[in-house]
Amino acid sequence: MKPKDKERLINLIVEIVVIACSFLIIIPLLVMIFGSFKTPAEALKFNALPPTTWEFANYSFVIVTGKILLSMMNSIIVTLGVLIACVGSAALGGFILARVESKWSRFLQSFFLAGMVAPLQIITTFAMLKMLNLIGTHFAVIMVMAAVQLPWAIFMFINFIKGIPRELDEAAFIDGASTLRLFVSVILPTLKPIFATTTVMTAMFAWNEFMIPIYFFNNSKNWTMPLTVYNFFGQYFSNWNYVFADLVLTALPITILYLFSQKFIVAGLTAGSVKG
Amino acid sequence: MRKKTLLPYQKSLVIPAVLIFSFFFVLPVLASFVLAFTDWNLSRFTTPVWNGLDNFLYIFTDRKFGLSVKNTFIFAIFTAGLKTILGLFVALAVNRPLKTRNLLRTVYYMPAVLSMVVVGIMFDAIFRFDGMFNQFLGTLGLESLQQDWVGGYKTALPVVILADVWRWTGFNMAVFLAGLQSIPNDYYEAARIDGASSWQQFRRITVALLMPAFTVNIVFNTIGGLKVFEQVFVITGGGPGFASQVFSTYIYSAFSQGLLGRSTAMSLILFITVFTLSTLMNTVLKKKEVS
Repeated sequence: MKPKDKERLINLIVEIVVIACSFLIIIPLLVMIFGSFKTPAEALKFNALPPTTWEFANYSFVIVTGKILLSMMNSIIVTLGVLIACVGSAALGGFILARVESKWSRFLQSFFLAGMVAPLQIITTFAMLKMLNLIGTHFAVIMVMAAVQLPWAIFMFINFIKGIPRELDEAAFIDGASTLRLFVSVILPTLKPIFATTTVMTAMFAWNEFMIPIYFFNNSKNWTMPLTVYNFFGQYFSNWNYVFADLVLTALPITILYLFSQKFIVAGLTAGSVKG
Repeated sequence: MRKKTLLPYQKSLVIPAVLIFSFFFVLPVLASFVLAFTDWNLSRFTTPVWNGLDNFLYIFTDRKFGLSVKNTFIFAIFTAGLKTILGLFVALAVNRPLKTRNLLRTVYYMPAVLSMVVVGIMFDAIFRFDGMFNQFLGTLGLESLQQDWVGGYKTALPVVILADVWRWTGFNMAVFLAGLQSIPNDYYEAARIDGASSWQQFRRITVALLMPAFTVNIVFNTIGGLKVFEQVFVITGGGPGFASQVFSTYIYSAFSQGLLGRSTAMSLILFITVFTLSTLMNTVLKKKEVS
């Protein structure tokens, strides 16, 4: 066999194997999606076949009983809050830390670096928030999530901004611009790609996070989607058609975001895994 | 060189980031170094009493804590190993010029964007007694193997491990893929001209230049594994009994009993473990990277 044909044959075999393995991912998703349209008895069969009759009413039941709209609103508030607090402050802070070369700048960088690996001390955080009377508020959950995500976000910006020429800054300063002015009108437009990546990854983190809200939301009216679906599962664990519908609704917004923003995710992962 | 530090940057712009991080992350860490040594609970919330090493003595003689530490390490080692290896294989495969490779990449990464709660409940549907897997065994005529996987003492933790591997393999793949795509094709051509076998090429070029990606994946996987919470919390709740209890779920159960001092002490142990291990791994793995 010629080397070229051999290569082609290998690619064909590899392709068949990876496609076959991808069914390990697709089948559970199909069971969930089709299951959400089935009758309770049919959903209990847990198979990946389409429903015999499409029960769209499962969704209206879940949306009403599972308080989906309220929790979706909470998730949106929390996610937007985390984006503003985390991405906004990381972009500004990252700019200064990337530009100023001094002892305290290096100190702050190692300060944030340490936070990248350290786990959150959740009990003392709880105690602090309780003393401030903030337990149960969106604000508390937003700030703790923003703090957890900040070290990663700030390094995304530091690494990116280091590649932007300083001459831009010089020119702006000569024109008499303030640092904030320089940042907003000169630097910010060049940050679009890294802004997109950091925003998408942070939004996914905030939307999916479970541990922080379960410690700090004591009242179900502020619950985000992961908490609501967990609680719904506890009540309706024998009605899999409803549980599946709730799962689909929880996963849908973030999946749509993923499908539209794949290239930004890839960019973010590249930044971490290629020697820089 | 000259003007670099002389440009008049307004350094106060770093303050929002420093404030948020210090107040909501660092301050509680510092507080835990004190409060871990106190007798403190929810009913006496404002009056913790110093009790020296009592919390730690209790924790280290508590068999359930020992079991959760053991489970945490089993979870971290198995998930980190499986996710890294499977992620590498998938990345090597979808890095080839396959017809469906873009679609395959999208599908394999998909689980990483789903909430762990969604994944956890789905795995309950698969591995519960009347679930998908047992029904599948039934159609194969393997009724003798059917059992309650989620509720079994020996199988609960493996189910959780499987769910975590299912969720994160695609993420590992994407990190390796980014690394693979940064390797210039010339290297392979030069090696072929020098008569290197494909194994030698793989070993000397691919693996060597993928070291940064290995570092990212291994460190990230291990830290994530040691911090594991919702995977266990959602699927098994730490059960049956204490069979799948881990560090973070044990901390949560001490917390929900109101034992703040004790749970702070446990959380401090986790903090020190993760911090030491990740620093150690980073140093060792960074040395293996070729510059």
